[in-house]
Amino acid sequence: MSSALSTDQYRERIWAELAKVARPDSRFHWDFSSFICDFQGSDQCADRILEMDALNKRHNRQIFITPDNCLEDLRYKLIQRGIPFVMTTYGIVRGFYRLDPSTVPTSDHRYASTLDGFDRYAVPMSLADLQKGEKFSLLVTGGSAVSSNGVRFGKGHGYFDFEWAVLSELNLTDDLSVVADVVHDCQFVNEVMPAERHDVVVDWVVTPTQAIHIPQNSRQRGRVFWDMVPGTEFENLSIVSELRKILKLGPL
Amino acid sequence: MAKRETVARRSDVEVAGDAPLYEQVRDRLSQMVLSRDLGDSTPLPTEPNLMAIFCVSRGTLRRAIEELVRDGLLIAEQGRGTFVVQEERVRRVVWQRLSEIARPDSRFDLDLSHFVPDFAGSVAAQQRIMKQPQWNKAEVVFCAPDNSLELLRLAALTAGKKILVPTYGLRRGFIFIDGMKIQKSDHALAATLDGMERFGKRLGPGDLRQAGTIDLVITGATAVTTNGLHIGGGQRYLALEWMMMKQLGVLAAGVKVFAVVHDCQVVNEMVEAEPDCLLDLICTNTQEIDVTQPRGSVQAKFRRMK
Repeated sequence: MSSALSTDQYRERIWAELAKVARPDSRFHWDFSSFICDFQGSDQCADRILEMDALNKRHNRQIFITPDNCLEDLRYKLIQRGIPFVMTTYGIVRGFYRLDPSTVPTSDHRYASTLDGFDRYAVPMSLADLQKGEKFSLLVTGGSAVSSNGVRFGKGHGYFDFEWAVLSELNLTDDLSVVADVVHDCQFVNEVMPAERHDVVVDWVVTPTQAIHIPQNSRQRGRVFWDMVPGTEFENLSIVSELRKILKLGPL
Repeated sequence: MAKRETVARRSDVEVAGDAPLYEQVRDRLSQMVLSRDLGDSTPLPTEPNLMAIFCVSRGTLRRAIEELVRDGLLIAEQGRGTFVVQEERVRRVVWQRLSEIARPDSRFDLDLSHFVPDFAGSVAAQQRIMKQPQWNKAEVVFCAPDNSLELLRLAALTAGKKILVPTYGLRRGFIFIDGMKIQKSDHALAATLDGMERFGKRLGPGDLRQAGTIDLVITGATAVTTNGLHIGGGQRYLALEWMMMKQLGVLAAGVKVFAVVHDCQVVNEMVEAEPDCLLDLICTNTQEIDVTQPRGSVQAKFRRMK
């Protein structure tokens, strides 16, 4: 590895910086290993996302957002603009949900954009339900750290990799699907890092001060690496058994 | 193999055929404790007796019991025997019932050992609280950070009351929100754990007096007993919060403690347990239960001080 620092060292350094701008979670407080935190300036990230072609020229395609705290303002602004989106619940435990802003009264727009409030308005989507919709145009995630070639690293990035893999297995992603990673500037590491086979390299890194385009011309089609699932937090998810049924695979 | 079959046949539970024998014994023992077939207030049967009941060796039995002691369901007392921890038994029985009607938390899902869930019927239970004269009169309400109390926090803010809410696990102190000082459109968000910190003022234990005098204490619970005990999630946060407020003198004289629970969380038995704090009124989805202790009773005083 050509890195000047190991990923662990980067993580330590980034968390120390992040703590200065981060907002604690209502349940996990400052335990960054349990959640992707919100930070000062995430509203500016949301504004940059709202300018993206993948959002504005999506031609009926779907939007996916992870349940990360730094994406709350983005959720709020999508709800305000009446743009529906798909999100997983924390830890993907209850799978995918879809929020249709037309069901949310104006007074509850902020409320519905939090994880606590989202639950009151969003409806569960089975994988079969998702397949009835269009492919995804834009997928937005937060992250603990991201490299200059779009490789996400640090604790917690595996959930999005898995969500991408599942949506890809369902044929809901293609070459037009754009992946954006919302991070604070201190989470961007200006260095090339090697990607593992299951890593989703991102097309855009969006920070409060800039949007960095990283052309990914050779991204492999996403797939679930089943050999990696046993023994992980993904093993017993309901979407795993549903996906295996759809793909006509036996039980794990 | 013969032994394993014996255990499976004697138990009424489905046990995984390939689970280790001690795990089968542990699970069966735990079920017998929860159904009160065993050790209600007396020690468990002796080792030879239990070995005979389960048809297992001493080593297997001991390992099963050790696990239950480590889990907090049993307690071994030197020279007296092994006893059931009643508080933990009640907690587990209620968790089983609750799993049917609980609403998942946005982070912990249905892992009830981590939070007090909202439940089907919580609106009716919370509305019962709002009918109480103490609710109407209260200017400052302590409200636990339980999901089952979101509507009450909202109603308090809408009515212009002030609420004092501990952060989850009391890790970052209390949040104090004045319903008169925030916009009506923000009330719903301010009533959630995710939203409250944006509107309130954070108070450390030393700043609690800034909240003024607390006129009413409202809490959810894992379980409550008809003799007025509050049984929390096991971490005793309410006891800690109660003690802090008491020692700082911020509780109004004779302040009432109201609990919001589902009927299935009400345990109709006298449980010997260390109470977090004593309740005055239990409001469920179908009824109000007055559990006020005789005023000035020694026991009540003792328990409140604890």
